[in-house]
Formats: sequence, structure tokens, C-alpha cells
Amino acid sequence: MAKLSLMFENKLVKEVPIGNRPVSIGRSPDNDIPIDNLAVSTYHARVYYEGGKLVVEDLDSLNGTFVNDLRVERAMLHDGDSIWIGKHSIKVDATADSAIPWDTGRKAAAPKINETMVLDTKARRDMLQQAAAMGERSQLGAGRVKMPTLVVLNGKVEQKEYVLTNKLTVIGKSPMATIRLRGWFKPQVAAQINQRDDGYYLGTGAKIPSVNGAPIQGPVRLNDGDLIEVCGIRMNFIVRE
Amino acid sequence: MQIVSGGVSDVGRVRTNNEDSFRIVEPMNLFILSDGMGGEAHGEVASAMAVDTVEKYCSDPDPAKEDSGVTLHGVANETWTRATKKLQNAVFQANFAIHQSAQKHPEQRGMGATLTTGWLNGTKLSLAHVGDSRAYLLRTGSLQQLTNDHSLVAEQVRRGILTPQQAEESEMQSVLLRALGANPEVDVEVDEIDVMPRDVLLFCSDGLTRMVSEPEIAGKLQAETDPKSAAQKLVDLANERGGLDNVSVIVVCIQEESKGWFSWLRRDPGKKE
Repeated sequence: MAKLSLMFENKLVKEVPIGNRPVSIGRSPDNDIPIDNLAVSTYHARVYYEGGKLVVEDLDSLNGTFVNDLRVERAMLHDGDSIWIGKHSIKVDATADSAIPWDTGRKAAAPKINETMVLDTKARRDMLQQAAAMGERSQLGAGRVKMPTLVVLNGKVEQKEYVLTNKLTVIGKSPMATIRLRGWFKPQVAAQINQRDDGYYLGTGAKIPSVNGAPIQGPVRLNDGDLIEVCGIRMNFIVRE
Repeated sequence: MQIVSGGVSDVGRVRTNNEDSFRIVEPMNLFILSDGMGGEAHGEVASAMAVDTVEKYCSDPDPAKEDSGVTLHGVANETWTRATKKLQNAVFQANFAIHQSAQKHPEQRGMGATLTTGWLNGTKLSLAHVGDSRAYLLRTGSLQQLTNDHSLVAEQVRRGILTPQQAEESEMQSVLLRALGANPEVDVEVDEIDVMPRDVLLFCSDGLTRMVSEPEIAGKLQAETDPKSAAQKLVDLANERGGLDNVSVIVVCIQEESKGWFSWLRRDPGKKE
């Protein structure tokens, strides 16, 4: 028995088991998974079993149904796939027993903690020892990602290139800023580029920067070659793989 | 800059005892947080020991403490400030203390702890940590994690084996690669951050971040001007969501000096910048 988990911005919104009946998804409240969002059609898609296989079908929706980045009309689903409808994603769990619906807003991570609570002292100790051994091995191989460079295309800044050596990079008038802007009306922090586990993210400051022409709506992961624009400064984000 | 801070620790809604410990040494702007583990309340012993050791070590004026001659693995940066080196040694020492205690008292075997510390001197924040308790920075509305989690799943993300979303949903989230107490030596990860006026620092155990999402944390930090209230509100939110683990939170607000031409009149001539 499989289940579908409706996620929005990494938070679990609703969980629905898939039984013999198809599971309907759409803006109308009589859907099994209602998504109240204008980007979603009234009856957007449905998920059902066919010949023992799990299938998602788009119901001629306006904005389309996507499975892991690929737009589909009808597609087979596998465990771990994500169905994207507008900004919502629906995770497919094809191994679970029938789910108990959750309270809105609760994070999906929660049940895992219950599992570790069951470990006794010995198991905890063994895990720590194992982890310590793994930690030693992992340190040897932990090669950092190459430091990216910002190549300034135009704008009044001190350098033509900035290598991002720090975890936090500030673009602004502040004396702490890596990329210092000059001018009476420039903000202390116009924008920021910060390093996370999976790459470098551009975030807003007092201003909203653009990436490749589009103003960002929240922190955005930067890719090699991206064009960043803020306060009249244009730069290329370069990371040599 | 003026620093105001506040912290709260709570047992949560499920556990029977609180194995987290934290301390704010206000005159030093030293912030210490530890999440203990180990059966029969030994986690409490470990985390308390971690916090005490760091406080004692950093408060000790003995200059020898800054360079204990300990060989540390990992990236050693010659440009680290003295405070950063001292903090790193303090965390190293905390590990040794916990390990030694467990050797002496066999019933404590298996006890361990995470430890995350921050020491603000002027505008330089020294960070030293082991484990997956986190330090965050809130700057112009963006919440940025400052520490790297020493967990299996975080390492997998760093190596491109998992996406951050997969890591969040993994069943192995609690598996740590590094923790205090397991070995007599430990690799303490260190970093330095330049702080700016209006920045807010957050130190927290995973009891918070497992229950509350980062955008919600950012929202609460922005909404509250008093750090103790902010910390309490975050703890309350974690408990509202289930409170499955102990939760500890330290909030530090870095307030800017008041601007304007009256400020030079108000400034105390004895106070250092």
C-alpha cells in the first residue's frame, strides 16, 4: 500500500494513502488532495494503480503536471518520485503501509526521532564508535568544492574579480563587505552570497538581486555562469568543476 | 555595538529528562550549547561537563591556554585569532574530560555530547563545534547556517550523494560522524565570522530544527526584539509541534549604536568600541 505526501516548502501538508480508488489532486476542495493555489487547476491530476503499477495522469491541467522535472500526461511512478504541481510537490512513497494523516505544518522528519529513542545504551555506544571510525575515514576524503569567483562585468567596485573564500559574502556599503559598493544611497548589505552544504546561495539584503535577469524570491543556488545583478553591478558566478 | 542575549532550554514533550545544557557568559559574550547522549541520564553529565569545561577554559587568563600545543587534524588556519584558537582548545579539552570521565566511571561508558560554541570579541565571532547542534546567522532577513553538521546525512549532501531534501527525510539523520566522548581526541571544526550591526545569532540543539522549519525560525527571530522572548517563542513552537526531543536555544542580538549627532553626547567616554 503506497502513500502520497503533499509538501510545500519542505513542510509536510497532508498525507494520503493510495488504495483501490484513484487519488484526485486539484484546487477544488472535493479532491482527495486539495491544493488551494491559483496555479493549480480545479481537477489537476490523479494517481491510481493500473496493473499493479502506480500511475499519475494529468487531467488537461493548465500548468501541467511534472514528475521529477519532466512534464507528463501519464507516467509510471516509482518510490521516491516527486510529482510537482505548481509550487507543491507530492512525494511518492511506494513502500509504506497506509498512512495516518498528519497535522498541517508538522515536519516529515519527526517520526525518525522516535526510532532513535528506542536505541539502548549499548546500541548508542556502538553507533558512536562506528560513527567515530567513519568520521576519521571521511576526513581524509573530504575534499572541499573549489572556491567560486565573481567576475565583475560592470559597476564601480574595487576589484575585477573576487574569489569567494568565506562562508558569508556581503555585497554592500558596509566596511565588512567583501564586495564594497560606493555611493551615498547604497545599503550596508545590498545582497549576500552564502555557502551551504550543497553549493553557494545568493540571498537578498536591502535589495533584491537578479539571477540571469530574474529577481530572486528567496535564496537561490548559483550555478556556473550565472549572471548576478544588484545595485547596478553585474557579475558572473564562475565555479570551475 | 551592544550585545544582548537570552537562552532557554526545555525537556520537550516526550523525553523524561533534559540532557541539553547551555550557558551564556555575558561579560565575555561567550555562548555554549551542548546536547548530551547516553542512557540513564548520563547525557546530562556529558553536556554539563562540556559546558563547564569550555567556560572554565576560556575564562582562564593563563596565556598557555591559547596554545596547548595540541596537534589537531583538519584545516589549521594560521590567521585564526587567539580567541578562536583558545575556543578550539576549550572544545578539545571538553572532549577529553568527557572521555576520561567515562574511562574512570564505567557506568558512564557510551555517554557523549555535541558541543557548539561562539565567542564574540569586537566584531569577530569565533565558532568551534563538534556535532550537529547549530549556529545560525540572521542577516537582512536571510537565515544562514554557520556550522556544518557533523552528521552522516550532511556529509552525504556535501559529497553530492544526497540532496538537502533527501537528507531531511532520511532515517539516518541522528547518526553523527563526530561527537564528544567517543575518543580521547576529536577534530573540532572552527570558523570566524565578521558580525554586523542588526545581525542576530542563534545557537540551538536539533530539538528545534527537527520540529520547526528555517523560514519559521527566521520569522520568529525577526518578530521579537528581546532575545529571551525570541528563544522562548522558538521553544514553545517546537513543543507545539510535538516536542519530540529536548530543545535549547540561545539568541544573541547585535544592536547598532544609535546614530545621529546626539549619540556622541550620550556615549560613555570610558567604553571601548
